[in-house]
Amino acid sequence: MLDDSRSAGSAPDAAGRLRGHRLDMDGVRVRYGQTLAVRDVTLSVEPGEMLALLGPSGCGKTTLLRTVAGFIRAEAGRVLVDGAAIDHLPPGRRGVGIVFQSYALFPHMSAAENVAYGLEARRLPKAEIARKVDAALAAVRMEGFADRRPRALSGGQQQRVALARALAIEPAILLLDEPFAALDRSLRLDLQLEIKRIQRRFGVTAVLVTHDQDEAMSMADRMAVMNAGRVEQVGAPAEVYDRPATAFVAGFVGTTNRLPGRIEARDGAGYRVRLDAGATFAVESARGFDIGARVVLCARPEQLALRDGADAPDAFPARLRQSLPLGPALIHDIEAGAAELKLHAARHGAPPAPGPVRVALRPDATPALFPEGETT
Amino acid sequence: MHRYTGSDRLLVLLIVALAGIGFLILVGPVLVVLVTSFTSSRALRFPPPGLTLQWYRDLFDPVRSSQIHVAAGNSLLVAALTAIVATSLATAAALAIARTRAGWARFAEGGFMAPLVLPGIAFGLAALMFFSWLRLPPSLALLVAGHAMIAAPFALRTVGAAAAGLDPALEESSAALGAGPWRTFRRVTLPLIMPGVAAGAFLAFVSSLDNVPVSLFLASAQTDMLPIRLWGMMETALDVRVAAASGVLVAVAFILLLVMDRAVGLARRMSG
Ligand SMILES: Nc1ncnc2c1ncn2[C@@H]1O[C@H](COP(=O)(O)OP(=O)(O)OP(=O)(O)O)[C@@H](O)[C@H]1O
Ligand SMILES: [Mg+2]
Repeated sequence: MLDDSRSAGSAPDAAGRLRGHRLDMDGVRVRYGQTLAVRDVTLSVEPGEMLALLGPSGCGKTTLLRTVAGFIRAEAGRVLVDGAAIDHLPPGRRGVGIVFQSYALFPHMSAAENVAYGLEARRLPKAEIARKVDAALAAVRMEGFADRRPRALSGGQQQRVALARALAIEPAILLLDEPFAALDRSLRLDLQLEIKRIQRRFGVTAVLVTHDQDEAMSMADRMAVMNAGRVEQVGAPAEVYDRPATAFVAGFVGTTNRLPGRIEARDGAGYRVRLDAGATFAVESARGFDIGARVVLCARPEQLALRDGADAPDAFPARLRQSLPLGPALIHDIEAGAAELKLHAARHGAPPAPGPVRVALRPDATPALFPEGETT
Repeated sequence: MHRYTGSDRLLVLLIVALAGIGFLILVGPVLVVLVTSFTSSRALRFPPPGLTLQWYRDLFDPVRSSQIHVAAGNSLLVAALTAIVATSLATAAALAIARTRAGWARFAEGGFMAPLVLPGIAFGLAALMFFSWLRLPPSLALLVAGHAMIAAPFALRTVGAAAAGLDPALEESSAALGAGPWRTFRRVTLPLIMPGVAAGAFLAFVSSLDNVPVSLFLASAQTDMLPIRLWGMMETALDVRVAAASGVLVAVAFILLLVMDRAVGLARRMSG
């Protein structure tokens, strides 16, 4: 019964839209011998949503994905699809489609045979298989390559076939493990857009593993930032970028400047922070700090600005080493004591000359504050 | 450009000379036997005083060579069964070994390879004692069992190389697409390691066909084997049909080798 609802893929709702299935990871813990690769991860993926698992190499992304797929058994915790635990099911009965980084197309089968494989395993009638194979290949615009062996396809084409093969079985959940890692940068964007389009069209719930934050930002509805087997923050890309929950997230997602300092006083909804570099900034923060506590202020390159002239207390002295153009912007490479800072500025007129400068917080900027020890 | 110095030339000469000697030692005797099989003399003699096809005619004569034919039939049957048994065992072992990183896998692999270094005579004797301890009378089945032990390492080597090159993600893909273990093996694993399996079966077949030491202990009057029979013919008389039989075996092996090499690139697999 459950099986039926799952293998049926995404059924249209009353309004004719496709609705996906819900995926929950509930306290999942995975251990390899002594190493705890995934530490009690609880995550939900909403129906039809694409969630990116983002994190540095070795943080447990693949392990978590493989646990959902059923290749690894969790030591503790549960995986649920539409509220029903699937931990006891083998990979083929979980209603999960996977695209591997290496695509893992069967080299001795044509593109069409690859796509047909999962349908044949389900013992569908021949005519239905043929129809679904055509539809799946057409969805990834590979209908002209049905008889080609994988070896005779380019990397991007192989990846489309791998996607068609995963989607042909109408999975409830689509799992993508670094699907773009083996592709050129130029090809990557095209395929990212295409996969996103197809995922939306099929209304399939998707989990995308990546260590490329731009990829996560552009493709995912929400992203989960992982570090050392834990999920440190889950949220919409903009939210994670603007309000990093931990110092690790601040450093891993986007570029951040770390400015050590001390809490000087409470100040409205935040604190006055005395930076070691020599300025006092007013910073909003929901976290509780004691007066005098050591903190690290994490400011995005676009949250800082050069301030010329008088030595105001809200700017600290630094030295501009160089300014480099980056598209329409300018990157200032700045040295402030032991710290190295990067600043984004709009490019107009000649870039400032290298030498002593003063750095201030932009008036509308909301940098993040973290206790000093938390920085990883 | 690299220029040859005097000592380089000397080295090249030395290598060519050694290769030539090696070639002579390997191929020379085979040529001698082939030429001898056409001798017009009554007994084995090299160089032959004249040439004739007489001995081949004799060899294929159903009445005069009936015992040889029975032995050849036994040998071919045992070789074919050995190829099947040894290759099946080796395939199962190779897949299990390729899938596990545990230490026991390396150990098991070593165990499988042991018959390669164990002297054939010692293994034949051991097999004979073991089977008679089990009170099993000599039979073709026991010969197949004995030959399979000797042949399995060859098959394990070629199948193992093929299995090691198998991307584990392929089998995982198959499982994730809903295929059970049997379908995965039949549709994905086996086709992909087939060249290694075929090469292994060929090697097992040939190693069984010309095995003497194990057959010596396990064969009986009812289960006469071709190499043993040929050896017996050599002992009583220098029967030229032995050379003719060798000629046939060389020709068969050579043709099989060509076919296998065309089909699966055997030479590449054995060196890999
Ligand atoms: N089969 C295994 N046996 C033992 N340890 C493993 C195994 N697979 C992964 N690990 C360890 O588990 C941790 C998480 O690995 P995982 O492959 O999930 O990381 P990842 O986030 O996918 O990294 P990457 O971005 O490099 O792919 C790592 O420390 C890794 O060394
Ligand atoms: Mg990984």
